[in-house]
Amino acid sequence: MIAEAGRWFLSIAFISSVFTMVLYAYASIKHDKKAEQISNWLWGLKGILVTAASAALIYLIMTHQFQYFYVWNYTSLDLEPQYLFSAFYGGQEGSFLLWVFFAFLVGLGLIKWTRKPYRGPVMFVMAMTQFFLLSMILGWDFGVAKIGASPFRTIAQEMPNAPFLQANPGFVPQDGTGLNDLLKSPWMMIHPPIIFLGFSMMTVPFAFAVASLWTKTYHEWIRPALPWTLAANLCLLTAIFLGGYWAYETLSFGGYWAWDPVENASLVPWLIGTAGIHAMIIQRKSKRAHKASIFFALLAYVSVIYQTFLTRSGVLADQSVHSFVDLGLYNQLLAFILIVTFMGIGFYLYRYKELPSPEKESKFLSREFMTFTGAMLLFILGIVIILGTSSPILGKLFVDNPTPPDIQFYNDWSMPIAIIMAITTVIGQYLFWEKHTWESLAGELITPLLVTSTISVISIVLGNVTSLYYMIYIFAGWFTVIGNGTVLIRLLRKNPKLVGGTLTHIGFGLLLLGIISSSVYTTPMLDKRTEDYNLRVEQGDVIDEEGFPITQKVEMFELTINQPKLISDKYMVTYEGYELSDSPRPGQQNYRLKFEPIEGGNPFYLSPEVYPMLTSSGPNSVEWSVDPHVRTGWFNDIYLYVAGSQYVEKRNEAVEQNSQNQPMIPVGDAQSEDQQAEEDVQTIELSQGETTTAGPFQFTFQNFVPASEESLPENTQIGIRSLIRIEHEPSGRAFEAEPLFAVYTEDDRSYTYSPPIDIQEWGMSVLFTSVHPETDSIELSVYGLDENFEEDWVLVVAEQKPFVSIVWMGTFMLMAGFSVSIFRHWAREKNTV
Amino acid sequence: MKPKLIIGIVSIIVFTSLLMYNFGNSISTYVNFEEAEGRSSSHVVGVWDSSQDYGFSRDTMQFVFYMEDRSGNVRKVIYPRPKPNNFEQATQLVVIGEMKNDVFYANEMLMKCPSKYNDEPQFEQVNATES
Repeated sequence: MIAEAGRWFLSIAFISSVFTMVLYAYASIKHDKKAEQISNWLWGLKGILVTAASAALIYLIMTHQFQYFYVWNYTSLDLEPQYLFSAFYGGQEGSFLLWVFFAFLVGLGLIKWTRKPYRGPVMFVMAMTQFFLLSMILGWDFGVAKIGASPFRTIAQEMPNAPFLQANPGFVPQDGTGLNDLLKSPWMMIHPPIIFLGFSMMTVPFAFAVASLWTKTYHEWIRPALPWTLAANLCLLTAIFLGGYWAYETLSFGGYWAWDPVENASLVPWLIGTAGIHAMIIQRKSKRAHKASIFFALLAYVSVIYQTFLTRSGVLADQSVHSFVDLGLYNQLLAFILIVTFMGIGFYLYRYKELPSPEKESKFLSREFMTFTGAMLLFILGIVIILGTSSPILGKLFVDNPTPPDIQFYNDWSMPIAIIMAITTVIGQYLFWEKHTWESLAGELITPLLVTSTISVISIVLGNVTSLYYMIYIFAGWFTVIGNGTVLIRLLRKNPKLVGGTLTHIGFGLLLLGIISSSVYTTPMLDKRTEDYNLRVEQGDVIDEEGFPITQKVEMFELTINQPKLISDKYMVTYEGYELSDSPRPGQQNYRLKFEPIEGGNPFYLSPEVYPMLTSSGPNSVEWSVDPHVRTGWFNDIYLYVAGSQYVEKRNEAVEQNSQNQPMIPVGDAQSEDQQAEEDVQTIELSQGETTTAGPFQFTFQNFVPASEESLPENTQIGIRSLIRIEHEPSGRAFEAEPLFAVYTEDDRSYTYSPPIDIQEWGMSVLFTSVHPETDSIELSVYGLDENFEEDWVLVVAEQKPFVSIVWMGTFMLMAGFSVSIFRHWAREKNTV
Repeated sequence: MKPKLIIGIVSIIVFTSLLMYNFGNSISTYVNFEEAEGRSSSHVVGVWDSSQDYGFSRDTMQFVFYMEDRSGNVRKVIYPRPKPNNFEQATQLVVIGEMKNDVFYANEMLMKCPSKYNDEPQFEQVNATES
């Protein structure tokens, strides 16, 4: 019922978006105010429908209606309410719905704040993009062709041929398959909404660029479009940051950036958007670069759609860690990208001759030239990344069945581009506020250059940098920070409202420095033996069984419980055990690793986690996921996860045995197992007060205790209990037992009586089997202790990443800069209304 | 033509060809184990051969298993990390590394899993090299 309503809401919303689009176009061509007003109302109606559809989907999720595929596929009964909510946009269909919703809100803002003559054309473009986005989640089935995949389709509609459904058409699953454990993260709740808000706002510069081509007013559109573009960029930047932080903190990807296609999907629009902002700023200030700013504004949105196409059509399925599954939207997405591109670029080329050109070329040493260079560099970097990400398509020009490019490809191109950009930002900022000649500029730059050189030399020496290339890069990074910093100080004195640009450029410089130190100078943390081994591997001295030199280094170390190991010549690391807990994930182990800096300083603990992925584990296996622990510091982050442990291995063995034991066990085997168990006994001799270790346990004989009459057999000669303290070392848990030892006579023969004390928790039993009066010691027999007992151990992968803090700091500076600029441009825009 | 225009066109051509050349070099094609012999780095797609022994050894700190590529060749694969998550579930493996003397030394491994949630981590990527 609710789902049916949701489906209708989306269908009507889709139809209304067609009407809205046509009406806005009509209103713009005929300058019909009335038509425009009706379209505005239609826009609002569509918004209500989309909101209602979203509410319907949320309702279905919250009430666990698992007959619906989306609900079944992404949620389960045990999911916490906040993740139930975020599952709403956790899947492909829901995320389209969220995107449509945000685009609707952006549209409302545009209706309110956009002036003539732009409102009609701008809203026409907005309605057109809504038309495409809504078509993705329509779920109209024409037999020959389907349009979109509805979030409201039932399991029966999704899997018409499933046997269990043919037998029982009304089947409703008891529980859903649940949300991926990795997505159960607070970051996941805020990351997607911000990114879709960013995508929605990136539509605005595109819409304004089309509107300016349409209305042939090539200059004025910049003013309303600029704050929107800045805001879109701020959103994308925040989303990229959150995604990177999420990957670093909770996913074991090993870093904050991996050039994954999905990561690139938000970076490219950001780069091109930023290029657009540069061009728009020149146009606003100097009435130049109209062509560039329209071009970039169009391209930023085209790149949003193109990356959407790549990540959602299934094209990247073989290459990305997290691309969406193919929903059969390939053709629709292709149509979307082609129409948007041809409309934007076609219109642009059609009007190209009319677009204003500057009367004379700008000089090399001018703010226009430098800013334009910056825009071009951002654009080129965007092109490089698009090329790399498009390898499944464009790679076919070179080879069949292409693989993704090496990470090196991205690094090789981005580094030199970044170096040139870094230097351009400083010169550009100096020229932006004052006119300069070569001489005056050189004069201004002497001090920053001297400071930069000094600091660069210090960092190169301290960081032990040997590559000339990196030296240049580090110099460029510091130059950006110091050069722009000098400009910042001047501006703060003059007019603090103007600092947006300088702040972003300082942030960029910090990013460059942080990225190189945290990625190139990441070092694995290892013990001495492993380090020596790796050194020998490097020299080719390690030979494998077949007589070939081993080339792979070991990048983890092993710790045995309570045995400290010196790691990286810096920390004494002790594995102190683990705790099992069921929160927030059942079966989760929290490992406790103590770090003691050997050069003094406070010891600290790291507690990485390992947990079974219950939602996807079958009965014959457990899948383990790791949750790294990152200790952040100003100078150094320690990134660490447990790659294996005795507990995990034992659990795997148990699961394996279970799966093998499922068929019937022959009787003989069972007997031999029993025999084995009988042999599996350990005898411990203890004198009073003594402690002995057996396996993971410590046995302490504390005292003799008199035994009470009723527990003794008849004719007892001796009856005594011993007070034993048993401590399980890995967990530190201990308890006391009082096993009984008695000697009694029956038919003139002496028997000993020692009833076992079962300790179920550890699967063992303890017997008090003998007393040695001469030494005042006792003998205990312990059953169930694994004789080949292995002490608890963990495998640890740890890395030191210097100055990750600077990456975040740079990102925050960029965000701050964008925010300052948004306020400044928005305030001015509002004042002129 | 203006000299500036010529310089512009030339630099665009130089940039594009350099970029494409580099791009072409940095991608390769998926190969099978036989073709991988003698290459410095290859991507091989296949499935885990569960009939043979596999496992992680704490002595050598390596995970060893056998994999059958798409052409039916079965080879030993050595991966210098613990057994990755989802290994047994993977319907398809992509190993990236070097083939030496009939043994494949994988530096990276991608697993395609029949995940029930067909959204985000369809693939579990594990890097053996520093990234």
